[in-house]
Amino acid sequence: MREQAMVLNTNPLQRIPGVAVMLVLLCVVFGLMTPGFLTVPNISNVLVQSTILLMLALPMTLIIMTEGLDLSMGAVLTLTSLIVAIVALATGSLLLGLLAALAVGIVFGTINGWLVAVVGIPPFVATLGTLGMAQGLSLIVSDGQSVVGMPAAVRGVYSGTLGGVPLPIVLGLGSYLAFHGLLYHTRFGTYIFALGGNREALKFAGISARRLLILVYALGGAMVGLAGLLMTARMNSGHPTAGLGLEFDAIAAVAVGGTSFERGNGWLLGTLLGVVAVGVLRNGLNLLALPSSIQVASVGLLVIAALFVDGLRSRS
Amino acid sequence: MTDISNPISGRRMLLSDEMIQVFYRLLAAFLICAALTILTNSFFSVGNILNVLRQASLLFFIASGLTLVVLTGGLDLSIGANVAISACVAGTVIHQTGSPTLGVLTGIGVGGAVGMLNGVMVTALRIPSFIATYGMLWVLHGITYWYMGGETMHGFPAGFRQIGSGYFLGLPIPVYLLLVFLAIGTIFAQRTTWGQEIYAIGANPVAARLSGIPVARRLLLVYTVSGAMAGLASIIFLARLNSAEADIGESLTLPAIAAVLIGGTSLFGGLGTVFGTFVGALILTLVLNGMNLLSVNASWQPLVTGVIVILAVWLDMKTRRRAA
Amino acid sequence: MKKAYGALAALLLTTSLSSHAFADGETIAVFTKNQTNPYFQTVRVGSDAAAKAMKAKTLHYIPTKPDSIPEQLSQIEDVVVKKPSAIVFIPVDYKAMVPGVEKINDAKIPVVNVTDRSAGGKFVAFVGADDYSLGLETGRYLLKTLGGKGSFVIIEGVKGSLTSIDRVRGFNDALKENPGAKLLASQPGNYQRLQALQVMENLMQSNTQIDGVLAANDAMAIGAIEALDGANRKAQVIGVNGTKEAIDAIKSGKLLASGDYNGFMQGCLGMMIAIRSLRNEPVITEIVLKPTVIGKENYQPYDVPLESRTCPSWDEAAKLGTK
Repeated sequence: MREQAMVLNTNPLQRIPGVAVMLVLLCVVFGLMTPGFLTVPNISNVLVQSTILLMLALPMTLIIMTEGLDLSMGAVLTLTSLIVAIVALATGSLLLGLLAALAVGIVFGTINGWLVAVVGIPPFVATLGTLGMAQGLSLIVSDGQSVVGMPAAVRGVYSGTLGGVPLPIVLGLGSYLAFHGLLYHTRFGTYIFALGGNREALKFAGISARRLLILVYALGGAMVGLAGLLMTARMNSGHPTAGLGLEFDAIAAVAVGGTSFERGNGWLLGTLLGVVAVGVLRNGLNLLALPSSIQVASVGLLVIAALFVDGLRSRS
Repeated sequence: MTDISNPISGRRMLLSDEMIQVFYRLLAAFLICAALTILTNSFFSVGNILNVLRQASLLFFIASGLTLVVLTGGLDLSIGANVAISACVAGTVIHQTGSPTLGVLTGIGVGGAVGMLNGVMVTALRIPSFIATYGMLWVLHGITYWYMGGETMHGFPAGFRQIGSGYFLGLPIPVYLLLVFLAIGTIFAQRTTWGQEIYAIGANPVAARLSGIPVARRLLLVYTVSGAMAGLASIIFLARLNSAEADIGESLTLPAIAAVLIGGTSLFGGLGTVFGTFVGALILTLVLNGMNLLSVNASWQPLVTGVIVILAVWLDMKTRRRAA
Repeated sequence: MKKAYGALAALLLTTSLSSHAFADGETIAVFTKNQTNPYFQTVRVGSDAAAKAMKAKTLHYIPTKPDSIPEQLSQIEDVVVKKPSAIVFIPVDYKAMVPGVEKINDAKIPVVNVTDRSAGGKFVAFVGADDYSLGLETGRYLLKTLGGKGSFVIIEGVKGSLTSIDRVRGFNDALKENPGAKLLASQPGNYQRLQALQVMENLMQSNTQIDGVLAANDAMAIGAIEALDGANRKAQVIGVNGTKEAIDAIKSGKLLASGDYNGFMQGCLGMMIAIRSLRNEPVITEIVLKPTVIGKENYQPYDVPLESRTCPSWDEAAKLGTK
């Protein structure tokens, strides 16, 4: 769908999506301004930092394509991160921790999907409710305290490397490729496009839109479980507020990446670029050591600017 | 329900339905009151009822303007940040000029300007309201942090503080202000042509445009009015807290949205009332008050709130379907 | 469209140029928890004052979302790339930030721990105040004023935060020392003024007599006072932090006392130790500031603007060492 829209544009400048232009611009400006920016360690650093957000933003893209939303992701991430920590602490097994986190994530995703698809509650409300539940459960299971004393393997997930490449980058890239394959090369992906754009067609094909929606949210939950492992590995502990608010960062990255909130028009590569753009912006501003209040405002400006540019294109 | 060929006349037919919805919510609030009366003997007293009303009114001041935005099918995530920046700027004006009147006007002006910027982003730049106001949220936070430089501002004239903490004829002054906000919101939404048009835009923007409603101009108006109401709310917070700080509105946005939703306003637009939002704010406050009185562990409080939001919207949909 | 890009580039250019306007010398990165709590502003001003006196420059890193763990971790990773001469560090969470500290250690950047004692990692020194004795001493001051008896409520800070846990423990122990003191309730106000105000309003409904309020920070203490004023009730209130508004409230007799956390001094000392260690001068590895309770009789020295306060000399500072 995206490709179609782009073929129609004749002006070559307009074929380049806003987010790509933003990203290049940010890299050029930061590259000129700070000597440390365009170095292999720093680029690797930005990419590693971006993986947790990417793992939320990928399923968020699919959910937004179904004209949905998942506000519970940050809170569920906090919960799954705590679950990883608690289970790993109790059993000494990283694998059990991951499995438990995946299970909790999938349960929350399924509840979200069920509330949206079967009960018919608007996604914003349903996931706002589960946000509160996950936040409350995080405080209850941890009694408001950090969970520390992880087995050594936990840390390795974030600091380890595979063939010289940091593990989080491998996991992030793997997730991206998996989602890309799923969305663009399977029937499931076709159905998701139809779910946002053309539900009638689904009916004719004999596909249950309800089951599909539940699957999409459950997949989101599973990714949040996986991201929970990375979060725990990153802090080498679990913390009852660690992931709160990240869902809005994920939504912003998806929006910056050019996924439309109205037409069921998703673009996964855009989401990837959007996540990296947010990461590059924060990293570059830190390297420049600009006043923190400018850093606060700049993320908002990036979101507005990217959408402004995309809006200009769609009008012309 | 959204396929109404003539949105304005359809709106009138729905009014009685809307009243039934509000009635259900009042019933729910009374049931909570009854339960709390049985559970703790400190709940049912004139003092505590006034206390709950005053706390609910603080939440409602923010949520009432938000209701108008949600009625058009939009959302304003920047409303808490708007309250913060309006309070900080208005606080400075009061400190420097000593004039509360100027402060009130400044608060309303700053709030209205922020709201108008949101409106411009939504209408002229066509950025979805959810994203535009999220961007605005961070821009406002950045400006407020810079402006306050990590300090707080405190100590306001005693007369000014009466707005937030004073009493008149035995009732807290915020309760009177609550009636003012309720009246403004209700009359604007229910009794003016503009208000009717807002419902029509929320119910079906395409039909609204076709029937000759200037959609963009009305949206701009709604965002500006909503922002100005947030600015006015910031003054009441300033008077109540006797101080201005950069994170004053941080924790208010999601509860305000929850109050709007519990109050029965649909996120798809076109359905709901400002009075419903008041009852929503009342229900949320009653629950929090009850948990404080019963000394409920803080960990359970977000969980209970989450369940109530889902339950309220679910019941709302159930009863609406039956009525339709 | 081009115009929009141009404007953005111009914004980035102008803002970044201003950051190059500092002199040569050591660069010290200062990490604080948020931009909203005045306490951390006092630490920043203190560290800036010390750096200026010693001809070094400071860079401040503050999470854009208050107290955000992932953001402070990212900032550490970014700063390690930038390689400042040294770091003065307040962890947003004393346990969750340990991997971050270890990254700083791996990069061989000397780091001084300020305010909240990190649960791990290697530090040149620790400079802080003991939250427990701060809570205990401030609590004792309140109980002494009330003759060791009465009914009390505690307003806690953010559940699970080290400062809140220790201060509240101190409050409780001060109450336990006095058999005549009765604890009515201990409810969370999350260090937020409005929440503390409303919690206090609610607690006044279930308790007809409250003699004393122990709040875990000044903002909540002042919030509780607003609630008491609104209900025309009187109680003795104490807070913690010694912020400007608390000093003003003590002066006007509204607040009984505030436990002094002395952020300015912590900022000074942390920065002095960081720079001295870079210059291979002797340092003190542990300073735990003794709690001071600021009351009506001793508020004057604190009643000066932050900017006009001065850091102690090293000789004065050396006397504060506890190890």
